[in-house]
Amino acid sequence: MEVNTGFGPIDIAISGLRAQDKNIKLISSNVANAQSTDNGNGEPYRRLEAVFKTDGDGIGGVSLDEIAPDMSDFMKILKPGHPDADEQGYVTMPNVNLPIEMMNLNAAARTYQANTAILKRYQEMVETTLELLK
Amino acid sequence: MSKINNIVDIIEAGIRAESLRQKTIANNVANLDTPGYRKVDVKFKELLAKALDSSEDVDLSEVEAQIYQPKKTEVKSNGNDVSLEVEVGEMVKNTLHHKTYIRLLQKKYRQIELAINVK
Repeated sequence: MEVNTGFGPIDIAISGLRAQDKNIKLISSNVANAQSTDNGNGEPYRRLEAVFKTDGDGIGGVSLDEIAPDMSDFMKILKPGHPDADEQGYVTMPNVNLPIEMMNLNAAARTYQANTAILKRYQEMVETTLELLK
Repeated sequence: MSKINNIVDIIEAGIRAESLRQKTIANNVANLDTPGYRKVDVKFKELLAKALDSSEDVDLSEVEAQIYQPKKTEVKSNGNDVSLEVEVGEMVKNTLHHKTYIRLLQKKYRQIELAINVK
């Protein structure tokens, strides 16, 4: 005999919350490092992107699959006095685009919010069922 | 199931497990940022299933929930593995379980009351 206490939608909504929490962490790292010309390896900061995957097959939660570096080109700006400038006076800047990060932040925050909405509504649904026992 | 288990006993065991779990959740949330803290959880489902399966007579009032450390959760850089989201989810589930048990108990008592009042 198995004792099943499945509250599936709650676990799924929580996995969504956790995934978006990490996504927001990545976005804030990108924003904070938008001007970092040195990542310790002689390169400027490279923008990071979250890649999500479904847990299990079919119905399931979500998890962060990998944190992929954005391989698009770095931007160069003329700043001759900068310690990281090359011979021509150009400094390689991170490939972070602030408006894009803001847009991603909005999307992530909305997704987080949607998951909490699911959690809350499911809770209300179970409570409605429990009313039958009254 | 060899013994006719009293539903009140099952519910009571459940309520005891839920209140223990509520304590562990509170403990986990309190230690959200404590370096090196590993979360604790309550094992009850498995123990209840085992008790219901066993061919011997089991006293459900003696089925006690156990505290254990999952050790499979993702550890943060400070050696702590508590996730606020997970704890909130556990708390919602715990509350719903608790409500269900209380309602069932209420219903059971009402049945008994009804039986007493038959004239």
